[in-house]
Amino acid sequence: MSLLTYIIGCPLLAGIFLLFVPANFRWASRLVALAATAVSMLLSVVLFLRFETGVAGYQFVQKVSWVAGLKISYHVGVDGVNLGLILMGAIVAFAAACVSWDIDRRQKEFYTLLLFMTGGILGAFASLDLFFFYFFHEFALVPTFIMIGVWGRGEQRNYATYQITLYLSLGALIALIGLIALYLQLPVDARTFDLVAITKHFKAYPMAVRAQTLIFPLLMFGFGILVSLWPFHTWAPLGYGAAPTATAMLHAGVLKKFGLYGLIRVALPLLPDGAVEWLNLLALLCLGNILYCGLVAMRQKNLNLLIGNSSVAHMGFVFLGIASLNLIGVTGAVLVMVAHGFLAALTFALSGYLYSQTRTLEIDELGGLLRPLPFIGSALVMAMMAGCGLPGFANFAGEAMVLFGAWKVYQTVTVLACWGALIIGAVYMLRAIRNILHGPLAEKHAALADAGWWRRVPFVLLLAALLIFGCFPGLLTRKITPSVAALLKPATKAVAAQTAEAPTAALAVRAR
Amino acid sequence: MQALHAIPWIVLFLPLFAAAGIALFTLKDRELSAKVSIGAVVIGFILTVIFIAASGWEPQRRELIVTWLEVGDLQVDFGLRLDALSLMMLLIVTGVGGAIHVYSYGYMHEDRSVARYFASLSLFTFSMLGIVLSNNLLQMFIFWELVGVSSYLLIGFWYEKPSAADACKKAFLTNRLGDFGFMLGILTVWSLLGSLNFSVLQDELFKNPAALGACATAAGLLIFCGAMGKSAQFPLHVWLPDAMEGPTPVSALIHAATMVAAGVYMLCRVFFLLSVPGSHALEVIGWIGGFTALLAALMAVQQNDIKRILAYSTLSQLGYMVLAVGVHAPTAAMFHLTTHAFFKAMLFLGAGSVIHALHHEQDIWQMGGLKKKLPVTHWTFLVGTLALCGVPPFSGFFSKDAILAAAVEHSVGLFVLAVAVSGLTTFYMFRLYYVAFLGGARTDAASHAHESPPVMVWPLRVLAVPSALAGFWGIEALFSGALGDGHGVQNLPFLEQLFAPINHAPLAALGGLIAVVFGFAFAREFYQNAALDPLPQRLGALARGMKNRFYFDEIYDFLIALTQEALARFAQFVDRWIIAGLLVRGAHGTTELFGRALRLVQTGNLQTYTFLFVLGVALLLIFVIGNGH
Repeated sequence: MSLLTYIIGCPLLAGIFLLFVPANFRWASRLVALAATAVSMLLSVVLFLRFETGVAGYQFVQKVSWVAGLKISYHVGVDGVNLGLILMGAIVAFAAACVSWDIDRRQKEFYTLLLFMTGGILGAFASLDLFFFYFFHEFALVPTFIMIGVWGRGEQRNYATYQITLYLSLGALIALIGLIALYLQLPVDARTFDLVAITKHFKAYPMAVRAQTLIFPLLMFGFGILVSLWPFHTWAPLGYGAAPTATAMLHAGVLKKFGLYGLIRVALPLLPDGAVEWLNLLALLCLGNILYCGLVAMRQKNLNLLIGNSSVAHMGFVFLGIASLNLIGVTGAVLVMVAHGFLAALTFALSGYLYSQTRTLEIDELGGLLRPLPFIGSALVMAMMAGCGLPGFANFAGEAMVLFGAWKVYQTVTVLACWGALIIGAVYMLRAIRNILHGPLAEKHAALADAGWWRRVPFVLLLAALLIFGCFPGLLTRKITPSVAALLKPATKAVAAQTAEAPTAALAVRAR
Repeated sequence: MQALHAIPWIVLFLPLFAAAGIALFTLKDRELSAKVSIGAVVIGFILTVIFIAASGWEPQRRELIVTWLEVGDLQVDFGLRLDALSLMMLLIVTGVGGAIHVYSYGYMHEDRSVARYFASLSLFTFSMLGIVLSNNLLQMFIFWELVGVSSYLLIGFWYEKPSAADACKKAFLTNRLGDFGFMLGILTVWSLLGSLNFSVLQDELFKNPAALGACATAAGLLIFCGAMGKSAQFPLHVWLPDAMEGPTPVSALIHAATMVAAGVYMLCRVFFLLSVPGSHALEVIGWIGGFTALLAALMAVQQNDIKRILAYSTLSQLGYMVLAVGVHAPTAAMFHLTTHAFFKAMLFLGAGSVIHALHHEQDIWQMGGLKKKLPVTHWTFLVGTLALCGVPPFSGFFSKDAILAAAVEHSVGLFVLAVAVSGLTTFYMFRLYYVAFLGGARTDAASHAHESPPVMVWPLRVLAVPSALAGFWGIEALFSGALGDGHGVQNLPFLEQLFAPINHAPLAALGGLIAVVFGFAFAREFYQNAALDPLPQRLGALARGMKNRFYFDEIYDFLIALTQEALARFAQFVDRWIIAGLLVRGAHGTTELFGRALRLVQTGNLQTYTFLFVLGVALLLIFVIGNGH
């Protein structure tokens, strides 16, 4: 059995096990969740270390036929693109289990859902079969809605649940239509759900350009909605604001990356001509994320809404990297995905801690918290700095690569993205620090308790991950690059074909 | 030989390890934290001296390289560039920085967060050393940002004070504005020349000077934006005076020897890029430098806070250095940077000593007669003042003269500007000196002041030596060799060196000296034994403008509110009312309306259903039969 199966199976089995544990064994459910996610995390670290660098193909592959007639099989494997995501997902899942100590009712149900969500996420990233790829995602999505609805906070909780459910279901539905359309493009005798086989097929017999240009937008917008592509983003800040801490961490950090992963894994290699056609639009829309949502974040008065908007803004860099359609940009995009996963989890965990202490996240009511909370405060400063692209944290390496990659293709967009990254991001992050951590301390907050040693574990873990991949991005990029190069090969050809046509068009314009 | 190559790495990383060690392990132990931090920088200084002694100013291996990131045609090294330029800067940063570290031990002794202070200080030193040693543009940018954040931590050290919290935020954001340009400049250069490495870029441009094409000016100016932020040039100068909110040794560190020097150092490092034929970048740079020098000198004339006077003076001197780069004299710029690092660090530390003695009084009109109370502080401050004004034979005279001489050759306008600034400099510095140190004590605190402890006084004494004598040490010749300009500067014996400026460019030297004499005469006339500042009455609105920094902060606030903030407000409005409100809630509302309308139909009443059914059948029949005809 592949190591991957253990990584996915551990939380799922633990979740099933929890179903049979009586609800009054509160600590048992927490312990089981912690143990299962910890095992999953350690195994994914082993996976990361044993992964052979510099090779493009899939490793740790396991394939078990499930429905032979439809050629659906349980097929998992990792290459450079999903390796980092699985590692990140497993670490975030453990951190999310750690910070859930403030869940005070229905613990058993909460941890069960958390474990299912974790297993679903990791399964979605590891699957090389379209059926399981989609199924695992939906499997992780459903607990999200329930957790926000039941354990969420704030007055807008119901509306937020409502909106996030509708939006994400809609996005998943559109993506599903795209995937089915893609499936139907396969000749009847070659129909399979196996992604590797599909990729091989379309490499040998490329899909008709017309079909590609029709299917690509379905995937782009379907997956895009799942990632809060502007202007389909309003569910995200609202949903994260209402979600319990662990759910926000897992969704914003990990599950949301599914859409991006889908674009890179499925849409780019299978629909290269469609990509060339549509990615110009994506490059424009990503400015909506980077600039517009950044500006919106500047005006937020609630910390969670600010983080939520900033998380939406960060997705813009991934979109930009994908839209650049070259090795540097897409590798950078993958790096940003991993980095942002750690970062989003860290910021939501910190804001969750603040909320548990102060019972409010309204920025106006906070201030001077660095004095009573030196550890949490310093961690928040570091997270905010990572969020505005400070070198040393993984986000900088990824965003810089995205900018370098995009500069070759979309210079104006890159200039504006640079503005978003360096100025707008810094403005709202520093304002938050200024108003929450700096300044005089309100008397009612003088007795707040800083995190004790055990409570620090998840924060230290996430910060360490950000710092390690920030100082040594080569650890990831050397693994990512060969796989991305292989995925991009068809698209690179399509771009070359288009630029070969372009000079004549340019001449025609000039002649006019 | 291998061991020798390890030395620069050790020098670079020692402060980082010190910072990490303090942050992780010794936060509770004040003494140990201070010692670790001081130890790191002092050992760094000693190792640098050893390295220079062993391998000379131009080591055979000019670069030590480790690959940091390699994707496609983007290759980013983590490399150390070793030449006279970087080694001299290394000495300045660890040397002057070391003196400031030691001084901090005394100055910050009472503070409850000493450990945090020293951790930030070490992080800052690490970042600055990184800039100095960088061998490529992106690595420099990385450390550039790290300097930004560590200065943020230091300026906002007393973060509970709203003014300090605002000041650090302002410094960081203003710097980010410059970095925005810097990043675009890096992207431009990389896409046109295909590399980020300084020596590769230099070779590339040497082979093909037109490689940058029409983008030459733009690329140069974009990179200059970075320097504009760090070295606080107009229009990004506004952060520096506010940054005085940090502890005084921090001001000495970031406003004398290190952070603000980074911009000038970077300009000298990429001078080959700025001076390519066809680029007009240097002209712009020269005038921005000159304008900043004049503007800041005018503002300094009407400040009353001892640290703010020095802050504006720093701005003005940085303008000088940038002006020097603009008139094709990077050697002069680096020379002035070096001497300025010595005397300005000493002046700030002297001001700190005064503030310490007067229990945090910073207004010079609350001082007076400190000459007798603080003897060492007084004479070192005087040495610093004379050096800053450019009085021979103090170090500042030679470096300032080098700039004036270069200005004469290239631009008469800039020369006149520079001479005027020199006069203003002397005027405001002696205003400060007369009011604070001479005359009678104006307050009780001033009359009961005591000299600071030895740990604070000794750094002053140590820094006084190079402030006075650095003009004779051949620093200019060293830079001249490394940068390849500087008009054949040689290392001369004492007396010849003293008169070299007058022999070499008499107009420049005399112009500078006359300006000093005038400045001094006016200061003596107005401020000897003055009880009040006579200038506000004489100058009226101009004096008010100087005092209020010519209202730049107000204008910027207004402009930012009008542009970015307005955009943000607009975006928030659209997000809330149009996208989330009208479209999403609208779609939701319409769906719900349909749902409610359809619900009306499902009454559950059998008669209604039958009626509707019959009605439908009847309609169908009419339709079919009607069509049949």
